[in-house]
Amino acid sequence: MINTGSLRLRITAWYAGLLAGTLIVFGASVYLGLERYLDWTLQRMLVAECRTIATQLLSQLPAKDAAWLATEINEAYAPEVNGLFIRVVDQSAGVVYLSGAPKDVTFDPGRIPFPRDKEMDGSRKLQFGSGNRLLIHSMTLTTPDGNRFIVESGAPYHQIEVVLHGLLLTFAIYMPFVVSLAVAGGYWLMRRSLQPVDEITKRAEGITSTNLSERLPVIRSGDELERLSISLNRMIQRLDNAFEHINRFSADASHELRTPLTILQLELEGMAQNHRSDAALGDQIGSALEETHRMSRIVESLLTISRLDAGEVKMDKSHLDLGELAASTAGEMKLLAEEKSLGLHLHAEPGVLVAGDRVRLQQVIVNLIDNSIKYTPVGGMIEIRVGGEGNCAVLQVSDNGLGIPAHALPHVFERFYRADKARSRASGGAGLGLSIVKAICAAHNGEIKVSSQEGRGSSFRVELPLLPVFANDGASAALREI
Amino acid sequence: MRVADLELDRLAQQVRRAGKRIDLTAKEFSLLEYLMSNAGRVLSRTMIIEHVWDHSFDGITNIVDVYVRHLRGKVDDAFDPKLIRTVRGVGYSIGHGVQP
Repeated sequence: MINTGSLRLRITAWYAGLLAGTLIVFGASVYLGLERYLDWTLQRMLVAECRTIATQLLSQLPAKDAAWLATEINEAYAPEVNGLFIRVVDQSAGVVYLSGAPKDVTFDPGRIPFPRDKEMDGSRKLQFGSGNRLLIHSMTLTTPDGNRFIVESGAPYHQIEVVLHGLLLTFAIYMPFVVSLAVAGGYWLMRRSLQPVDEITKRAEGITSTNLSERLPVIRSGDELERLSISLNRMIQRLDNAFEHINRFSADASHELRTPLTILQLELEGMAQNHRSDAALGDQIGSALEETHRMSRIVESLLTISRLDAGEVKMDKSHLDLGELAASTAGEMKLLAEEKSLGLHLHAEPGVLVAGDRVRLQQVIVNLIDNSIKYTPVGGMIEIRVGGEGNCAVLQVSDNGLGIPAHALPHVFERFYRADKARSRASGGAGLGLSIVKAICAAHNGEIKVSSQEGRGSSFRVELPLLPVFANDGASAALREI
Repeated sequence: MRVADLELDRLAQQVRRAGKRIDLTAKEFSLLEYLMSNAGRVLSRTMIIEHVWDHSFDGITNIVDVYVRHLRGKVDDAFDPKLIRTVRGVGYSIGHGVQP
């Protein structure tokens, strides 16, 4: 499918159009110029013929006779062979000489009318039958003895037309060829000069909030392209600053909120434990405490995400077996799944090693399983798979639960995003669990992806760099069940 | 360790109530052990999670409640008085005669 709006195509089309226009103007002027030149040459030749006949032959006429004149003219010009027309008229005695019919019989000399008075000493054009035209020049001459002659000499346009026709044919054949060559060349040149833009586009596509420190290649061409790449880089710099600012802000805000929240919580806990008398008051304090706990959790999560995003969290990285970690974590959470009669199954290839922070990665698995438990109705199934794919360690947590609506899918990792506000609030989440998962994955140079069909279930897939120690021979890959 | 008629033997990993032996899973055992070694004190869910599980389980809403419910089913349901007490908003404590 050709995009007719593309710059490359439009410029090529303009280029081809201009070239074709120029060629047409050039061709037309060559054609007209040549036509006029040939016309002029033909006329000159006829004038010269008339003059020669008049001055060299007719001047001797009183001495010689008409037969001599005919021989002389036939010898000099061979009008029948050359397709010429020659007529000499003595105004008192009638036609003295008339050339014969040309061998291609394009005109009949006997039927050519005599020139009118105004056509004397000039040229006229005659049309014969199917497009044969004849140019005739006539000249009058008065001999010293008082005789008046009219000398006429004519030649067909035919030859000029052959030349012009040939020229036209040449144009018709070569012009499309030259233009298409120019189109191909122009298209290629445009592609070459737009190549750097393509490169910039590809790199710009790859820049997201997690790698804003990267910059685009600057095209050192000293023109619009260089300015474009520099401007884009400046824009990324500003974005980078803005992101950093936001991160800084949420980290500072959550940090500042921590202390007063802790104090509030301690005070309330003290009250809850010390009051003995009033049951209603105890209930109110308890309710306040529950909300305080929820608030602390949100603040803690926010702080964690902001610090992870800012790269401020020191990862305690060690080599660990992702399968084992998943197995122990799933084991700890089995009871939670059983509470809702959910099946929790694990398939882990042995020896899937990653370099990571044990506690953080465990948090990833915990949050994903917790998420699946929350959104899978009673009797459902949760499956955890751990394996190596290429140079990726893959952890996948799938369920056959409620799924995520397509419109919500791109947002599930955003902070405080909840696809179904009412339900999620009831199940106690603040909408930060998956954001934490994403931040932890990013901090491990990994990625998290989600796929889901509403009503059929969801699948979260974590990809982490696999340590090269892992030897994946499928034959010996034992599956573990918890 | 002993709270009322509930006994916990760390070395033998055994629990008895009113002389009857009770089977607990490893997690239930550590939970009970933590509650009993702080008998009379109210332990918050966060404290319980960090002690019995670890920090990464914090934030999961009801893991402590689920385990306490299972534990109650084994050590409290068939007996009187009830020993494990819920303090709304705070957490749990074990000890007799504090509050019904």
